[in-house]
Formats: sequence, C-alpha cells, structure tokens
Amino acid sequence: MRRFFWILMIVLVLFSVTSSAAEKTWESQQGEFTGNTVTVLITDPHSAVVEAWKPEWEVLTGAKVEMVVVPYASLYDKMITDFITGTGAYDLICWPSTWAGDVMGGGWVIALDDMIKEYGYPNWDDVTPAIKTVVSWANKIYALPYDGDCHMLYYRKDALENPEYMAKFKEKYGYEYSIPPKSWEEIRDIAEFFTGWDWDNDGENEYGIAFIAQRKTQAMWSYLDFAMQYAAQPGVAPFFDPETMKPLVNNPGWVKAMEMIQTMTQFAPPGLLSYGYSELRQAFVSGNSAIALDWGDIGILEQSPEKYGSKVKGLLGYGPLPGANKTYDFKKKQWIEAYNRVNFLNFGGWVFSISKFSKNQLAAYKFATYFTAPERSILDVCGIHGYTGANPWRFSHFENIDKWIEGGWGKESVTKYLQTIQAILSDPKAVTDLRIPGAAEYYDYLDLHLAQVLSGSATPEDACNNIYREWVRITETQGKEKQLNLYRESLGLPPK
Amino acid sequence: MGKAQPIGKGVKIGFLAPSLLYLMAMGIFPLVWSLSLSFHRWKAATASSPIFVGLKNFYTIFFADPRFWNSFRFTVIYVFIVVVSELSLGLLLAYILNEKIRFRNFFRVVFLFPMAAPPIGIAFMWRMLLNPDAGIVGKIMGSMGINFVRWLTDAKLTPFVLMVVDIWEWTPFMFLGLLAAFQTLPVELYDAAQVDGASRFQAFRFITFPLLLPIIVTLVLLRAIDAFKLFELVFGITGGGPGTSTESLSYYTYTVGFQYFDLGYACSLSWVFLGIVLFVSQFLLRRLRKEV
Repeated sequence: MRRFFWILMIVLVLFSVTSSAAEKTWESQQGEFTGNTVTVLITDPHSAVVEAWKPEWEVLTGAKVEMVVVPYASLYDKMITDFITGTGAYDLICWPSTWAGDVMGGGWVIALDDMIKEYGYPNWDDVTPAIKTVVSWANKIYALPYDGDCHMLYYRKDALENPEYMAKFKEKYGYEYSIPPKSWEEIRDIAEFFTGWDWDNDGENEYGIAFIAQRKTQAMWSYLDFAMQYAAQPGVAPFFDPETMKPLVNNPGWVKAMEMIQTMTQFAPPGLLSYGYSELRQAFVSGNSAIALDWGDIGILEQSPEKYGSKVKGLLGYGPLPGANKTYDFKKKQWIEAYNRVNFLNFGGWVFSISKFSKNQLAAYKFATYFTAPERSILDVCGIHGYTGANPWRFSHFENIDKWIEGGWGKESVTKYLQTIQAILSDPKAVTDLRIPGAAEYYDYLDLHLAQVLSGSATPEDACNNIYREWVRITETQGKEKQLNLYRESLGLPPK
Repeated sequence: MGKAQPIGKGVKIGFLAPSLLYLMAMGIFPLVWSLSLSFHRWKAATASSPIFVGLKNFYTIFFADPRFWNSFRFTVIYVFIVVVSELSLGLLLAYILNEKIRFRNFFRVVFLFPMAAPPIGIAFMWRMLLNPDAGIVGKIMGSMGINFVRWLTDAKLTPFVLMVVDIWEWTPFMFLGLLAAFQTLPVELYDAAQVDGASRFQAFRFITFPLLLPIIVTLVLLRAIDAFKLFELVFGITGGGPGTSTESLSYYTYTVGFQYFDLGYACSLSWVFLGIVLFVSQFLLRRLRKEV
C-alpha cells in the first residue's frame, strides 16, 4: 500500500512538472485560451497575415481573434487614444517601430523580456541584428519582430539593361550609367532619358521614376532616401546635432536633397503626387516607370500578374539606395566632394506589441509568436500568402529560397532581391530611423513641407527652414534635455 | 378620489437629478475640462502630465501659428463660396421643381441622393473617381483628348475640387428647405400680381424672394455652421493637401489633437474655433435679419 502511495505521488509530481513545463512555452496549446478574445489593431495589408493565421490558431487554442483594421493615417491616433484613456480595447497592436519614442518610451506597451524568459521565443538567434534593435528601447524588448524594413531601388531591366538604350544614353549624356544606378545624379539623368516615350513598346508612354509622394502616406521616407546620401554618412545620422539637439534639416545637404527630389518630379508619372504606397506599387508593377523606390513590397507584387495586375514579372532589377557624388559634413560644416552611400532603415519595420492595458497579454503573446515563428513567418514574407506588407527579417527567410520559388519567384530574381535586402539589414553602419518621442510629429512636418515643395508651392530652401523651425518648436515642447539624451541613446552615445 | 398631494421639493430634485447629472457628465464637464486644458501644455502621447502655461497657447494661435491663419483663411473662403453656390443652385432647383413639369417627383427624389449618403463615403468615392491613374473622371477626359488634370495635386486647383464636391453634396439641403417653403407660398399674391401685370421675374423679385427670406436666413445659418466644421471631405479626399492648401480649421485641430497629441493646444484651438463659429453665426443672423 505504501509502495503504491509513493508510486502515485511520483506519477502526480511528474505529471504536474510536465504539464507546467508544457504551459511555459511560446507554443500555443490545445484549448488553452478557450473563451478569450484577442483584439488586434492593424492596418492593411498587414491584416492579411492575421487573416491567414487566425483560423487555425482559433481552432487550436479555442480563443477568438478580432481585428480592428484602420487606415495608416488613423493608426497613430486610434492607438494613442486607447492608451491615454486606458481603455484596453486592443490586446495586440501592429505599429511602425519609428514611433518607438512615443509607444515604448511612453510606457504604453509591456516589456517582453520576462515573458520571453518565461515562455521562450521561436528562435531569437534567427532574428537579424538590425531588427533586434528596432524592437528594443532602453535595453528592453517591447515588441515582437515581424517585418524587415528598408528602402531599396527597383529598376526595369528591359529598359536600363537594353544595349540600344544604353548606347543612346551614352551618346546623349557622355557616360555609361551603372547597373544598378549608383548615384542620385545618375538616376536624375536616367529618369530624364526614360521619360515621355514608349520604351517597352506597350503602346503607352512611360516615365523615368516613381516614388511615394502623397501627403500622409509616408512620402517623407522618399525624401529621406535622398537626404541620407547628401546629409549623412555611413553610421552618422543626419537629424540633429547630438551635442546641442539643434535640428540639421536646413543645412546645405538637406536642401540639396530637397532640390533633387523636386527635380525628379519632372520625370515622374503625372499622378505622382497622389501616390501613396499602394498607388505607387500598383502603378509601378503595371509598368509605367523605369525606376521606383520602395520597401520590399514591389518585389512581392511583381510576382503575381493575376492577383495584382503585374506586367513586370521577371523584368525588375534590385539594388540598394543610390548614393550621391558629394555629401555635407554637418560637423565640419562643409561639403565632402566624394562619393557617399548610406543604407537607411526607413521605418524600421512593423512590429507587434502588447498593450499594457490588455487583459489577455499571454494569449496575445502566444498568438504573435505563433505566426512570427520561422516556419510560419516565411510564408508571410515570400509571397505564398500574397502581399502582406511583411518583408524578410529572419536569417532563415534569406536562406529558404525554395519557399520563395513556391511563392512565385524565379531563382535568379529572388536571389538578387534577398541579397539586396540582407546587405542593407546587415550593414553595421546603416542609419536607423528617427525613434525619439514625437517622431510622428517631426515627420508630419517634414511630410507637410515636402508636399509643398513637390507641388511647387514652396522652394526647397524655404521648406527646409520651415521644417527647422517646427523641429525646434517640437523639441522644446517635448523637453530639449530629455530629447537630447534620448537621441544620443538612439545613436549609442552616452547621456549629456 | 382624494385630492392629489403636492409634490415635495426632494422628489422633484430626485426626478431631475439623473438627467442633470447626465447633462453635467456629457456636456458641462467636457467643456470645463477642455477649457482648463487649453491653459496647459500636454503632450499626451508620451504619458507626460499637463503643465500650466496660462495664455501662451492662445498667444501662439494668434501671433505665432501661420498654419492656423492658413486654415482659417481657407475655411472662411470655402464657407463663403459653397454656401452662396448651394443657395443659388438650391433656389434654382426648387423654383424649377415647384413648377408642374414632367418627372417632377422623380427629380425631387434623385436630387436628394447626395445628401442622404454618409459624408465620409462621399469623400472616398470622389477620391477614387478623381484618382489620376484609375479614376473614371480622368479616363473620360482622356478619351475626349483632354490632358491630365491635377485635380488633387495642384495647390491652386484642389480647394475648388473640394468645393465642387461639397456643393454637389449639400445643394439638396438648400433645395429641400426651399422647396418646402415654395409650397407654402400663398397663391392669392401671385394672382393679384398677375392681374397687376407683373412679369415672372417681378413676381419672383417682389413676392417670392421676400417671402422666402426668413427660411433662407435659417438655411444659410445652418449650412454655414455646418460648412465651417468641414472635416470628412478633407480627411477623405485630400488629407489637407497638397501642402496645407485644403487644411480646414477643424482638420487642423484634429491633426494637432490626434496626430500630435498636443491636447492642450488642440483644446485652445477648439475654443478659438467655437468663438469664431459663434461670432460668424451671430453676424450672419443680425445681418440677414436686418434684410428680412
């Protein structure tokens, strides 16, 4: 009897140990959240990811997933309003990491370090270092990575690599351009050359370059592609003077960048100023321009003629952002007359965070880790789940070529595409995006004055001076000392 | 049956209290709270506390915020043009459809459609119609050989595009009110005018218009106040752009409040906005009543 008792006890102890060990995993368990509802605040097209994984996760865990899909222009106010009022309407929020200063710095989302320690995370070593940086704030992890974001250059191979066109270009401009184009100066000439004639013989005239230019739809990141080359150097961010917090946005480098982007509008499709990210992607894959700037998304749309009307499948080449033939050194206050090329992590990537007001934090964590696990997230970034807005961010995403081919890519195309993105994300001197509190407001004013330049209602110099004034005001409103230290921290410098 | 007892004061207060409390909670408290906030700086997104700044927000609005004056100028011009246009077109339509013409009832219903649709739906519909690449307006004009028109990307043209959409949407409001007024006009006056040999224009000028004036005053006032609050069309069609060329006062206030989360300044803007609307409505009322 005594023996039986001990055997029973051992079995019970083992059972309780194994069952509690089973609970302490990031992997979702059968029926573990029955009756719970996880509400996700998200924008399009990212909702496609949640849409793809929610049915099977609901069946597995017994939970319900509800999505609140809002346009990008409304995401910030919906999210912050929920935080300020403490409503807790959203458990899981998909947001751009460039708002880290407000969202992470504001303490509105929970630090995940303890949860990661307790429940684990699906292969943290598989996450690229740049993405690990964007999900962190003050040495703590506040978000789950989900997207690897950086702008890159897309070009039409049938135009730029056509020997006949190359010869004509050389005849007109007196030099041969690089493939992919190396500098904004080259791009300017190429864009001019390919504007206003039917170089792909489809019966319609094409244009030189397209980029996001519509107000409130992320146009400022197009401008930053130029500014990074003329006003920054590798590893040197161009936003503020890290000694004084004085904005640098009206120095000659930024003004030159503004002039250059204004020049490009002459070689762009007539509807350029109404191009948000969706419009740009649709227009470019429908074949109206020779060059475009975008995150990795155009590559995904390119692969699906049926779904997204792509007329350029297999015709696109990929490259990093072009550099510039000179750059302005804000420390020495002088131009450096040498070629300069800077990789820039525009936007930083979309991330998922858990609201501190959420009542379903564990369920939210497990749902997010479920679909961002390596074997699932690859399906979201490679095109198998279509256009989701998520771009590769794990090492395994760059290695698993077969899945990309399954997603509709040609081997040569995807190899080049992934090499380009990986080179940018793994560049230790890539400049990270502005992440201090008020980043959304700083960028809104950048966007506003950029829009005035692009529409011809302000000169580049006036616009840059106006941005400067606004940035000074925002910095003062936020608290100059606080901003200075946070900016320095974002650059890896000690506090003042 | 006994004589009814007079209701005590306590009972009266007891019955009134719930509605008074509701009114206080929903109406008075937010007003007082927002007035108090308008004297503070509060960057709510970063979880900071409100800091008392006195009249600084109001000083900034009037003396150091060109964006406020830009949105004020745009709003005033917008209100003037759309209200005058809607009144004129509404009057014309009501006059025509008050006559015994064929399909009169059909047209009366059709003209009301734009007003019945939700304004934000209207805004997104027009945004799609005017889309430079895929919009049907551009395609139709292109098929007629008319080159690309920068409907939504030209800072000089876009404000007028918004006005046209507003006029299309809200002329039915004027039309409806005026048509109802037309139908109440006494027939005897027109008979007398006809006997006196008055022309159609004279009958309109000296009988119809003076009799319609009270309702016109009311319609203009309602429409002007509503137009002043212009938001959905800006939000849905232009986002205030290009630049700030179509940024209305309420859209600017929304941007400051819910994009920058500068809630103190946004409250100050709201109070200035309220003051402007009150002033304009008083001005219009007095001016138009004088005419009546």
